[in-house]
Amino acid sequence: MSVTTKTEAILRRQDGTMIGSDRRRYRSWTDIALNVWGVLVILFLFAPIIVIVIYSFNNGRLLVSFDSFGFDAFRTILEKPAVQNAVRVSLITALISAIIATTLGTLAGIAMARYPGKWVWWFLGLLLLVSVTPEIVDAVALLPWFVWLGQDLGIGMFNDGYVRLSIGSSLFATAVVSYIVRARLVGQDANLEEASADLYARPVTTFRRVTLALAMPAVLAGFLLAFTLSLDNTIVAAFVQVSGTTPWPVYVLSAVRSGLRPEIAAVSTIMLLLTLVALAVVAVVLRRAGDSATDIARTMAGG
Amino acid sequence: MPRRSAGAALAVPAWAWLAVFFVAPVAMVVWFSFGYKPGIFGTHANDILSLDRYIEALSPTFFATFLNTLWVGVVGTVLCFLIGAPVAYWMAFKVRPQRRGLLIALVLIPFWTNFLVRTIGWQVIIAPEGWLSTALQSAGILNGPLDLLYTRAAVLLGVTYNYLPLMILPLFVAFDRVGPALREASKDLGAGKVTTFFRVTLPLSRPGVIAGVLLVFIPLMGDYITATVLGGAKGNMVGQLVASQFQTAQNWALGSAMAVVLMLVIALSIGVAALLLWLVALPFRSRTRLVLGPAAGGPSTGSGTGAATEVSA
Repeated sequence: MSVTTKTEAILRRQDGTMIGSDRRRYRSWTDIALNVWGVLVILFLFAPIIVIVIYSFNNGRLLVSFDSFGFDAFRTILEKPAVQNAVRVSLITALISAIIATTLGTLAGIAMARYPGKWVWWFLGLLLLVSVTPEIVDAVALLPWFVWLGQDLGIGMFNDGYVRLSIGSSLFATAVVSYIVRARLVGQDANLEEASADLYARPVTTFRRVTLALAMPAVLAGFLLAFTLSLDNTIVAAFVQVSGTTPWPVYVLSAVRSGLRPEIAAVSTIMLLLTLVALAVVAVVLRRAGDSATDIARTMAGG
Repeated sequence: MPRRSAGAALAVPAWAWLAVFFVAPVAMVVWFSFGYKPGIFGTHANDILSLDRYIEALSPTFFATFLNTLWVGVVGTVLCFLIGAPVAYWMAFKVRPQRRGLLIALVLIPFWTNFLVRTIGWQVIIAPEGWLSTALQSAGILNGPLDLLYTRAAVLLGVTYNYLPLMILPLFVAFDRVGPALREASKDLGAGKVTTFFRVTLPLSRPGVIAGVLLVFIPLMGDYITATVLGGAKGNMVGQLVASQFQTAQNWALGSAMAVVLMLVIALSIGVAALLLWLVALPFRSRTRLVLGPAAGGPSTGSGTGAATEVSA
């Protein structure tokens, strides 16, 4: 028995995946095929992104035909107020929507994890419904709803582009944050909260110093995911936007129809860098909080 | 600690928010779908209720688009599974654990890159005047420019690409949960690789398979962007149909009916798929059932013998 364990340990060191006992048999043709396939698929996943990054250095007039290498596209961003405005609208609404989603989602997630009951199933059902409803349905539903609230009922704020966009992208994000926060707290012991209460902490103090502190990594991850999701929101935004507050993805969508220019790739490259930074922060936060690679994958895929 | 009812009140803001900005608007769309378009300038009216808009939404012209969408949805989901399952398997079992984090990041980065921008990337790649077309022509594989953009095949490529990470991630999580113990046991008992995969790994990762299929199929059916960027007139999907009723034709009643039909089609196809799966699995049920004890490591006597008998059978 101990010999086997030792051999396994050696094998494990040489080849991290270690299953079975014969290393040569392990490198069979199926494994080679799987390796090749995995690499190919990852290249496939990156193909259009690499193309966009390369084409952001296109000096030509149209995005599709590469003319010559240069930084004209990046310079154009500085000269075009419409592009800057679109990016600004996107960043502002994504921030507001992420704040809304994180607040609502964190409270709901804590409630689901710590105060379970029959209502949790109803609430999870609603969240599921929110996440599986096609975006186009959300979009066509919110448009008449905002028109009704803003014009028929005369609630002026629903005629404002920023309000509409922030609300529109907060729905799915709220569901995602709720899932993540709940998942984190369900895995944690509730004894700490009881201990805190036993030590005469007031409920509010317990909530702030214990429950919220335990949930914090998930809250941060949820916030950044909500921000990225809202930044990406295209379909709902295209419907509820008001002229003057066109967010970046909708600007791009209209450019698809009227003609794509290299500055779109240039802004996308900058946004890609921002997304990478946000993802890296999420990964570091979750890793610090002791999540394994699998847990991170689960969190990032939205619960 | 607050009492249970007080604690559950923490969820009230989220309830209210989703009720006002999700449930109510969708209910409004369902209500609109029973109405009609009153004139050139009106968008909807509900003084006479009927099911006429549904009949209109399923008239031959629109029905073809529904069929096309369903075709793209089913084929796209199957392609995602066939492409994604080996990758998830590779990540879960064949890659060194230290490298896993990196691979997950590599799958996640495309997933978190702007959907529209990724799709535009494909438009650049497969454009008739793009570099792929030029390369294929100079290699002598193609005689004329690449004729892929604005076809149904281009939409299929786009949706398969766009939703692939949503298949890989849940499958990876599910495979990873199966762990090496049962797979090794299966191999020790003489099962080959293929048998182990189909009789042990795949059945145990069923929740992941179901999650992956749903995560891909549902948004795919409602896709609007991929079809708009890559599909053109030939690759029309229901999402565009709904959008055009609201934006161009200004017929909110018909658009609403189409949106409701879309949701029903999605729900119905999932139901049919579940039923088919159940029927197919029925004859195998008694033979492939694997009963595990309270802990995977130490099964109780009864289920232990059960499992042993079943594997040897």
